[in-house]
Amino acid sequence: MPAENESLPGCTAPTPWPKPLTLPLPWPTAAKSEINQSKQQKEAGMDIKKYMSTPPVTIPPAMTIPAARSLLQSHHFRHLPVVDEQGKLLGMVTDRDLRSAYPSNILDQDSRQQLAQLQHKPVSEIMSRTTFTLPAAASIDDALLLLDRERIGALPVVDDQHRVLGIFSIRDLMGAYRRLFGLGERGSAMLTIIDDGSPRQLSRLGAALEAADIHFTRLLKIKGQEPEAGEENLIYLRVTTYNLPAVRKVLADAGFKGKNW
Amino acid sequence: MKKLINIVAADDKNGLVSRLTRVPTNSYTMNMRSPPPKLLLVRDDEFLMHDTGRDHPESPARLQEVYRLLDRGFSGHRLPVGAIGILPPRPASREELTAIHSEEYLLRLEEAALAERGYLDHPDNRLSYDSYRVALLAAGAGPAAIDELEAKSATAAGALIRPPGHHAERAAPLGFCFLNNAAVATRYWQQRHGRKKIMIIDWDAHHGNGIQAAFEDDPEVFYLSIHEHPTWSFPGTGWSEERGHGPARGTTLNLPLTPGSGDEPVLRLLKEVVDPAMESFAPEALIIAAGFDGHRDDDMSGLAYSSGLYHHLGRHAATGAARYCPGRLLFQLEGGYQPALLATCLGNFLAGLLAAAAEET
Repeated sequence: MPAENESLPGCTAPTPWPKPLTLPLPWPTAAKSEINQSKQQKEAGMDIKKYMSTPPVTIPPAMTIPAARSLLQSHHFRHLPVVDEQGKLLGMVTDRDLRSAYPSNILDQDSRQQLAQLQHKPVSEIMSRTTFTLPAAASIDDALLLLDRERIGALPVVDDQHRVLGIFSIRDLMGAYRRLFGLGERGSAMLTIIDDGSPRQLSRLGAALEAADIHFTRLLKIKGQEPEAGEENLIYLRVTTYNLPAVRKVLADAGFKGKNW
Repeated sequence: MKKLINIVAADDKNGLVSRLTRVPTNSYTMNMRSPPPKLLLVRDDEFLMHDTGRDHPESPARLQEVYRLLDRGFSGHRLPVGAIGILPPRPASREELTAIHSEEYLLRLEEAALAERGYLDHPDNRLSYDSYRVALLAAGAGPAAIDELEAKSATAAGALIRPPGHHAERAAPLGFCFLNNAAVATRYWQQRHGRKKIMIIDWDAHHGNGIQAAFEDDPEVFYLSIHEHPTWSFPGTGWSEERGHGPARGTTLNLPLTPGSGDEPVLRLLKEVVDPAMESFAPEALIIAAGFDGHRDDDMSGLAYSSGLYHHLGRHAATGAARYCPGRLLFQLEGGYQPALLATCLGNFLAGLLAAAAEET
């Protein structure tokens, strides 16, 4: 069993090929059935499976470097999982790996030879064999922490047998959080409410909005980072209406105070 | 000359317009001896018939107040005597509307109004029996004014109309808007009068998502919007990243301002961004989506403009039009939800526009 990583409990450091690693879940004690039934997670749409790119484009280890390069170029992505006949992950090839395998553009005699050799070289010679992966039950938060910590661009998502189910890139991560935060959702506006710490705030807020038939799609409660500098705890509310004076009146009548309104 | 005289609504079911029937014989009424009006304003009491019910920000009172000031010739704003003429609207034709909206949506809108459904798609978009008819007039006001501009009856024109339009999408109402008045006028100008390159400047406090959606693939229409930042503000669109698609990349320009922004950033943007954009695009006609809800006392946005800013915006519009498309400046009313404040800010805008127009002629 590999050592536990310090910065992300439950995650493991990669070991060299031929044993690519699937990171255990950050909730290692939860049984699989529990995770599948984890209603809260499903409703929140935090599931990596919702956002990863599928089906993954994978390549065999014997594919030549030029073939892999043209595949990447034609698909406009940057990461190719290398898999065996069973679809099990062997390693990853990135566009950077492929570019650095090529000689410089100014072709001298040596470079021409190098280029000629490259035509037949398999990707297995340049792929990275220490590969981080995510299990299918991971959340997008797991992906964010791992991508950020390792400063990598994409993670393969694998099943119990290390077969690649999909790829989750930083681009997918941005798309996921974009959707979760309702960014660009037409017809909404955000109100900032001061969290005064009074009891049952969110339930009172929800009840007041519901009674007035005001719909909202996001509710975030955020602690001020520097309370000593006077930074308040805030509640961000994204409502789907243009009639903001009406919303503010409902909130004020329910005892809420807005920031800047 | 007859069509320049204001026509009062004949069918005043709700008695809404009684106050307005005293058509004054003051400065804005056309007079044969005065020089041709520099500014034609579309005005019709029919626009008061779109009934949004109680406690709705987009109320008939908005235009009632505007018309009240207009009837007094915006006397507090020192407009040049005889500078304003009145033009009645006409309903937009099916063809003019389907250049922007789907047939299916037009039927849906008409049905919702005539069946008195109360609202369409979202409680924000309240309507009444007359709303469809009134919306057609609001959408037809632009084309009616454009015909007058092209006939050289005026140097500029404005549509004092409701419901507003810039949030309306091809097949959906949004944010009190049903038909996209600015988009309909834009296509009409191109198709009826052959003016190819149209620039729309939208300084309503909110992003005109509907105008942008209509033209983000069209390199011949430049949509430029200054609005409160979409992270906070309705409708949640209009990031500076949105720049148009394909060949139209660069002919959409969004300039979002953080909540609390006052006059200074707007004036700076006009000089540093809007003017160069106008110069490189060289529009053949200029449309202003004129919303007055960015004022600090209008609670529909977090922007903090002063009343005086609208004078600058009026000057800016007239100066830009004089340089690139003389005689082809149209503004259309969008937001502005505090009636008295709206009328005052509009008066300032008209004063700025006419002052600059006088200097340019």
